Amino acid sequence: MENQKFFYDNKIVRLFILATLVWGIVGVIVGLLIALQLAFPVFNFGLEYTTFGRMRPLHTNAIIFAFVGNAIFAGVYYSLQKLLKTRMYSDTLSKINFWGWQLIIVLAALSFVFGITTSKEYAELEWPIDILITLIWVTFGWNMIGTIMVRRVQHIYAAIWWYLATFLGVAILHVVNSFEIPVSLFKSYTIYAGAQDAVVQWWYGHNAVAFFLTTPFLGLMYYYLPKAANRPIYSYKLSIIHFWSLIFLYMWAGPHHLLYQALPEWAQALGVTFSIMLIAPSWGGMINGLMTLRGAWDKVRDSAALKFLVVAVTAYGMSTFEGPMMSLKSVNQITHFTDWTIGHVHIAAMGWNGGIVFGMLYWLVPKMFKTKLFSEKLANIHFWISTLAILLYAIPLYWSAITQWLMWREYTPEGFLAYPNFMETLTQILPMYSIRIIGGALFVVGFIIMMYNLFKTMAAGSFVNDEASEAPALVKLGSRNPAQETIHRWMERKGVRFAIWTFIALAIGGAVEIIPMIFIKSNIPTIESVKPYTPLELAGRDLYVEEGCYNCHSQMVRPFRWETDRYGEYSKIGEFVYDFPFQWGSRRTGPDLARAGVVGGPMYKNAAWHYNHFMDPQKMNEASIMPRYDWFAKKEIDIDIIPAKIRAMQKLGVPYEEGYDEKAVDDLMAQAQLVANDLKASGIEIEPTKQMVAMIAYMHKLGRDISTPAESTAQQANESSQTSQEELKEVVLLTGDADLAAGKEIFNSVCAVCHKLDGSGIPPAFPSLADGEWINGNSPEQVYKSIAEGNIAKGMVAYKSQYSEKQITQLTSYILLSLNKK
Amino acid sequence: MKIISNLLENIEGIQIYYVVGLLIFVGLFIVIVIRTYKMTNKEANDIKNSILNDSETEEISPQN
Repeated sequence: MENQKFFYDNKIVRLFILATLVWGIVGVIVGLLIALQLAFPVFNFGLEYTTFGRMRPLHTNAIIFAFVGNAIFAGVYYSLQKLLKTRMYSDTLSKINFWGWQLIIVLAALSFVFGITTSKEYAELEWPIDILITLIWVTFGWNMIGTIMVRRVQHIYAAIWWYLATFLGVAILHVVNSFEIPVSLFKSYTIYAGAQDAVVQWWYGHNAVAFFLTTPFLGLMYYYLPKAANRPIYSYKLSIIHFWSLIFLYMWAGPHHLLYQALPEWAQALGVTFSIMLIAPSWGGMINGLMTLRGAWDKVRDSAALKFLVVAVTAYGMSTFEGPMMSLKSVNQITHFTDWTIGHVHIAAMGWNGGIVFGMLYWLVPKMFKTKLFSEKLANIHFWISTLAILLYAIPLYWSAITQWLMWREYTPEGFLAYPNFMETLTQILPMYSIRIIGGALFVVGFIIMMYNLFKTMAAGSFVNDEASEAPALVKLGSRNPAQETIHRWMERKGVRFAIWTFIALAIGGAVEIIPMIFIKSNIPTIESVKPYTPLELAGRDLYVEEGCYNCHSQMVRPFRWETDRYGEYSKIGEFVYDFPFQWGSRRTGPDLARAGVVGGPMYKNAAWHYNHFMDPQKMNEASIMPRYDWFAKKEIDIDIIPAKIRAMQKLGVPYEEGYDEKAVDDLMAQAQLVANDLKASGIEIEPTKQMVAMIAYMHKLGRDISTPAESTAQQANESSQTSQEELKEVVLLTGDADLAAGKEIFNSVCAVCHKLDGSGIPPAFPSLADGEWINGNSPEQVYKSIAEGNIAKGMVAYKSQYSEKQITQLTSYILLSLNKK
Repeated sequence: MKIISNLLENIEGIQIYYVVGLLIFVGLFIVIVIRTYKMTNKEANDIKNSILNDSETEEISPQN
């Protein structure tokens, strides 16, 4: 048969490799920055553009879509041509794919810095960029399927099935999760509300891990591991079976991100079951990868590329075992909201994704530049530094997760939370955050060594943009001959048909998980008392989204005693029906805020406290790692956009009365004036149109609708205080050093947040305890009562629910004997 | 969205969807396993090895 001459397009591969390196170093350096911010808040630089809430999405997106994304394209564009013995279908499509993707990355980076976000994790980009992503992704798929159709080999090798699944999976996920109603060029509301939004988002989030970080990398493994080891893959049959099982099962497992949360039981059970089942196909991939090296382990000693690939496959096996274990409800209550998740994803990202990319580059770059690697020794140094970095990164975080979880749920013998102040559990894990920085820094150093090594290799080699090759043309085969061809081989012959089958497998899982959640009303029991956000609260909520508060604060109290004691009533599905998007969060670096507006609840803080805290969190609590948000007091609420927001909400089914969009601004101003007056009473002057006012209004909305109305609570408290006035319990002050020290400890961790360490307070909102003026009297009995019953109307919690009588007596003694000098 | 929503929420017994979805998976899984293990070893080996000699041309015939 006549051989046809053709040219491989190496230029596009080189472009993607360069983009991988450039965005990769940006991504890991931003990662290092946010690690620093968590240990030392000064690294937030006091600028709104560089707070943790905005930098964290920048890091995750830079790593996932910029570094890993470009690496996938580099790996696919090279191997697809070689595997199919043809040039890419269209050079124009290749170029659009490359430059379009880089444009998306630049736009994404800018939008995160400027706080333009939808707050859906790993899908934070706003609607214009979402549309652009869709177009570029379709370009990629079109180019790939076109290439498959003009191929010169009969079968479609295993790696390419994974590439196809990647294309289809990401397309489905991205489109479904990104349905949103635009309000302006930079703001949209997702069409899903509350619990529905959470299910759709975590179906996406979980499967972004599957179809952006797993399937393309299994494809790369199936090509680059055999090539680097120069041995065929262990079992081709295993690859078929684990391919179909994996892509089918993954789509069902999303709800394991929402265990113990406001989600129907069946959805949680479904997620757990399928997560456990996923171990089998995942380990099928790991076994196939590791067994490929059987009898060839000596090669691993010599080749840094193989070392990285082996560690990658091992990390993959570990993560895919750990993941299903984390889906078990009993384990999930430890790992969710703690640093365990962060450790888990970094084993996967640094070990599995990083390992495959580094291994691939160390093999591919010398091959494409027709030379040897500049220094195998440097590559080995990179390997050892990066492996050590992973350990130094992950182990402290696992440690921190267990520590914090144990502290959250620790009770005193009297039945009170041992660490009722969230801050105590955070300061304990800060040393672990410092070690994590070392791990991150080592990873950055390793990355720089690799860049140097690869650039040196490129400089020494010679590069051919269009590499000549030849292969016989593909003979068209007729219909399947059952005697000679299995079904799978026949399916593989037809690229498009194969893609359709893959699509069906993916669609079943996705539809099963999502459709009933969206469409069955009985899954979302409504709560009568839950009211839509007022325009001011809505403006505050959108600021909360913009600043990325959800990166550290959850709004989801799980039904555990140790959570309800700390935060208040557990969260119910019906509470979230007006939430576009949901803000449940995934990590509690700060306390949960779901009950921040419940007057008399343990989380309530008054307006003056919020003002002072936003202005300078460290002033209120020295150990706080929250960045300051003092621009809230300077920047104006965007009032012009309010009517459009109300109309968008109405379209989404929020029951604002007809024509409310015209009254909304007046309502906003009226409510803002109330908040401003409240602040003024505490001696704080602020114009009602400042963002601060909206933020405080939103904080006070959280959980308010499901709590008992504030007036009646305050009234009750008043009544009970009146009755108890006459029969005050006798309090004997404790003078022992140990008692005063215990009192001091409680004072410094809890009371000092408002009354300051020296007791001077921030008058008039937070009265001084050190001077001679007492609002409610200074006899031991009266002070004891003030602490025990709190001052609910002014935002002071009734501490009898958090501390034993003895502890309150110690506290009273410390205040009266040590702090109060007059 | 509202229209589709009203349409689908009235479907009786939509719960059966899961059972059907799961059955499709189990059924397909069994078929794929049986078919895969009926595949001859020679055929699997040919495909496995094909990617390693990409500098040479590959003989393709319907028997592959």
